Amino acid sequence: MNEKHLTEKESLEVITAMIARTKLRYTLGDGNIMLMWGYLSVAVSLAVWALLCYTHHNAVNWLWFAIPIVGGIVTPLMRRSRRCDFGAVSYSDRLISRMWTIVGFSFLFLTLVCFAFIFIADINCWTAMLVYSLIAVPIAETVQGIALKERSMLWGGVMALAVGMFTLCCAVGGVRLAASWFMPLFILAFVVMMIVPGHILNHKARKAK
Amino acid sequence: MKELDPLLHSQLRLAVMSVLMNVEEADFVYLKEKTESTAGNLSVQLDKLSATGYISVEKGFVGKKTRTVCRITITGRKAFEDYVDALRDYIGR
Repeated sequence: MNEKHLTEKESLEVITAMIARTKLRYTLGDGNIMLMWGYLSVAVSLAVWALLCYTHHNAVNWLWFAIPIVGGIVTPLMRRSRRCDFGAVSYSDRLISRMWTIVGFSFLFLTLVCFAFIFIADINCWTAMLVYSLIAVPIAETVQGIALKERSMLWGGVMALAVGMFTLCCAVGGVRLAASWFMPLFILAFVVMMIVPGHILNHKARKAK
Repeated sequence: MKELDPLLHSQLRLAVMSVLMNVEEADFVYLKEKTESTAGNLSVQLDKLSATGYISVEKGFVGKKTRTVCRITITGRKAFEDYVDALRDYIGR
């Protein structure tokens, strides 16, 4: 391509061609960040579950903090390298990135609220974190699925949200979230919401290349 | 009838503006690949678009490598929309 002057028809052709070339990127996905969060959540959940079964010690629950700590450090690094690899940031990239940032900060705020309840009123409300993670994350996932037109993310998010609604009703209704049935459900929600769509996105990206 | 903006009525500059209309930001390598241009020519055209205020160019570093990121400005977006309007007039004549 050079600096030659164009006829009106050629101008339209250039605009159309460029739109088509940049449009391609919307169908390409990079599921690595989603896979990292999915596997991290599942691994930590399995570790907490196993340790709870063997030790019966509640201090094991501190392990949950490995999810935001590890994920919070690794995500910006992965995002940065992805941006450099790809070379462009689309409007939907920006929207999705900001949405997840808000979700992240809301978890941070909820953690502070839970700590405040413990230290001020001696009330344990950590269950709220589990319920919130099965509501906020699936909603964000569903929105991302709509933005990227990716059905696996949309349906994964919807299914996990159904688990979240069920968990919410249990928590409000005073049903104890026993590890024996709740942990498999929690893990399953993260598998359908993050791991399955993450692999599908990567597969589509590989196929498109 | 509206005049076609001479700055946009050039193959490479129009291609760059079309790409930047579709993304929030794009780096030099991405633009070079999408427009299939040479680095030297693209660099000259980016300078022209930047001098007119149609795009903003930010030069930074990723590790030890330089990375030039381009974004379309509000002026550039308006100029592109006017150009497309004018083009529509010419074609519909």
